[in-house]
Amino acid sequence: MNKPSTSTKLQRGLSVMLLTSLVLSGCTDGGGSTANENSGKDGGTAVANDGPFGKYEPPIEVSFVRNLSDVVENNVLGVLKNETLEDNRWSRLYEEKLGIKMKYDWVVKGNPTSDQYLQKINVTLASGDLPDFIPVNATQLKQLADSDQIEDLGAIYEKYASPMTKEVLRQEGSSPFDAVTMDGKLMAIPQVESSIERAMFIWIRTDWLEKLGLQPPKTMSDVLAISKAFTEKDPDGNGQKDTFGLGVTKDLWGGAMGLEGFMAGYKAYPSIWIENSSGKLEFGGIQPEVRKALQALQTMAKNGEIDQEFGIKDGGKVSEQISAGKIGMEYGEQWNSIWPLQLGKDNDPKSQWQAFPIVSESGETPKVPLKFSTTRFWAVKKGAKHPEALVKLFNMHLEKNWGETEEFNKYFAPPEAESVWQLSPVTPYPLKKNVEAFRAIDAARKAGDTSALKGEAKTIQEKLDMFASGSKEGFGLWGWERIYGAQGSMGVVDQYDKNKQFLMEKFVGAPTPTMVERDATLKKLQNQVFVNIILGEPIETFDKFVNDWKQLGGDQITKEVNEWYASTK
Amino acid sequence: MGMKLRRELPLHFMILPGLLFIVIFSYIPMAGIMIAFQKFIPAKGLFGDQKWIGWDNFEYVMNLPNFGQVLWNTLFIASLKLVLGLIVPIVFAVLLNEVKNEFVKRSVQTTIYLPYFLSWVVLGGILIDILSPSGGIMNSFLKAIGLPQVFFLGDNNWFPGTLIISDVWKNFGYGTIVYLAAITNIDPGLYEAATIDGANRWHKIWHITLPGMRMVIVLLSVLSLGQLLNAGFDQVFNLYSPQVYESGDILDTFVYRIGLLDAQYGVATAVGFFKSVVSLILISTSYFFAYKFAKYRIF
Repeated sequence: MNKPSTSTKLQRGLSVMLLTSLVLSGCTDGGGSTANENSGKDGGTAVANDGPFGKYEPPIEVSFVRNLSDVVENNVLGVLKNETLEDNRWSRLYEEKLGIKMKYDWVVKGNPTSDQYLQKINVTLASGDLPDFIPVNATQLKQLADSDQIEDLGAIYEKYASPMTKEVLRQEGSSPFDAVTMDGKLMAIPQVESSIERAMFIWIRTDWLEKLGLQPPKTMSDVLAISKAFTEKDPDGNGQKDTFGLGVTKDLWGGAMGLEGFMAGYKAYPSIWIENSSGKLEFGGIQPEVRKALQALQTMAKNGEIDQEFGIKDGGKVSEQISAGKIGMEYGEQWNSIWPLQLGKDNDPKSQWQAFPIVSESGETPKVPLKFSTTRFWAVKKGAKHPEALVKLFNMHLEKNWGETEEFNKYFAPPEAESVWQLSPVTPYPLKKNVEAFRAIDAARKAGDTSALKGEAKTIQEKLDMFASGSKEGFGLWGWERIYGAQGSMGVVDQYDKNKQFLMEKFVGAPTPTMVERDATLKKLQNQVFVNIILGEPIETFDKFVNDWKQLGGDQITKEVNEWYASTK
Repeated sequence: MGMKLRRELPLHFMILPGLLFIVIFSYIPMAGIMIAFQKFIPAKGLFGDQKWIGWDNFEYVMNLPNFGQVLWNTLFIASLKLVLGLIVPIVFAVLLNEVKNEFVKRSVQTTIYLPYFLSWVVLGGILIDILSPSGGIMNSFLKAIGLPQVFFLGDNNWFPGTLIISDVWKNFGYGTIVYLAAITNIDPGLYEAATIDGANRWHKIWHITLPGMRMVIVLLSVLSLGQLLNAGFDQVFNLYSPQVYESGDILDTFVYRIGLLDAQYGVATAVGFFKSVVSLILISTSYFFAYKFAKYRIF
């Protein structure tokens, strides 16, 4: 998850301002001249009108489609009076600096992974009435490429991507490009997502730990003991046995209240493809370690440490329980303190949560599984007049937020509307930006001087200061303090990173043919069996599941995945 | 004949918009059925260069591991919904007809009609709370009268029943109004005559009201039989969970997952086509029987 931050600072160094105008606009208002020299950071790598930041004269129009999330609708457009989805600081910037006007063919409410959005985009693909630039997932990309409807972007990317774009898109290796390269052609620009942002932590209510005289966990048996104590020793002190040790949702996996981190404690990685000792890929969900982890969960559920009703509760429902102070532990990502935990904090200011590193059964340092998280690829409709405009948008988005001419406060996360970056249709970001920001803040904190921080780190530090001030407004920033503060989750990421604990998913290609056919069935089967085992079905059901999984296409998928894997070597 | 036709011509013209609607929205899209026989790649377009694969999509669906279960769930849930969905409003309409106080009658009518207007998205959230085993109203009630707690939405034994009853509850107000309308069509003279002959209330219901509603009942049952394979996507989708896939996964949710989410349009169309054929057979048969036993014809 991309993490915005805030600042009240509005000043910019004069030199930065000058540079901005030179690089981004100065070179294009030369009226009759066609080849102004390129000034500033790109050091003359391209002719101004045709470089990574070249402006179209007259302006061009390109069409998009997009989703409108609740966050953008309420927290961005809801508070910014003079901006709409079609006309806002990003669209104005793109038009002013690049000469690119944006038009949305349609807008659907919901998140980019929501069913509504998926349906709408699938229907758009089926109708053949594509926008110029279309954000797709791996399956859709493969269909588009197979039917020869999109442009090969290889040469365009090489020519137009700014050095920063090229660097950012390669930050976690070549996987994102492996995923979009078909027959040697670059069929889309991957909008890279940070995998390490998806690392799991154990979020625990530390006020309960203290109350019951417990220590943070070092091994899985500590985790189980804490869960048991949270359930049985009445940590909320209301005299009733109405608390749960561990929060779980009916979907089992996910960035909040998911089980990936718990299972990793048993060396089980049930939602990713891993490499076995002989260098072959295999599916994590059918390994014997998963059985062991399920067994443990079943015992917990039997003891009442997991809500017997979790099987029908989605994230929203479980977060209601958390905010009501009924759950003391959950596995999730670094942002969980902002949602859902801040809800609980708001309800009960005395409650306190902290992210701890995940632990293993034996006490050795566990691997932290990371799902390949780049799922959005930007394809360009075949015959679109200006395919390179897409690359220019990428360049500009990165430059304006993290480049030398950054106006982070204006374009990424101004205090009044922190998610303003989402108004841009393309939203790439440096993959380690958050942990880097933490490192900068932490170093400054240890040195006792935070005044030299800049950019994103500075805006985050301002939040931390505001929280530390104890003001009412600052209280709402508790979630941020839990991420970037001295005990913050980012400190754990830092530790994971330095210990080289990350276990990256190995399969990153488009779904194989059998996967396309069988994935829905197999996922359903897996979810159903796992939920039922946790709720008390005999553990032997797992063995049957493994057999079923293999027979229902799993073996074939494994074969195809390994063929793909061999082809990338 | 010529005179008659001229006189009735305006009436025939009145059908025109309806016919047009059916042609545009029902007949023309039928061309899309061909997708069921193709390895359909959406990006190539409806009339693009698709690969024809005969019955493969159908075989694929029939061979999917859950298909039998899903088909059974669909039939079971849909047929019970159908039967109860017919009986409950009839009984209710007859009872409501016996209420002589107009105000009470209208108020009841309006109240039972209300849930019909709520979407399943809204009702789904409400039902999860009401039916929760820990603290839901329903279970508090069961507990109060000494019955065991029931996990209505998470127990495979209870889930289909919950679906059926909540569906009947949501929709019976609508049916009741249709039947009440049918009852008002009955000649009041029949009731007066029966009273003079010494018939009591029960006799009048049995011999006048119910026979008087017969045509509407037959019509609605014939029409609803065509829906036998529609067990209600909206409802199931908003209420089910992995725990009750076994008893709650129906054709529509199944197709939704493989068709729309996994973008296998060929397969999804094949199932849709299969549903249509079964529905056609059912509706034709019931129409035949309706004519044979009740002398009922639409045309």
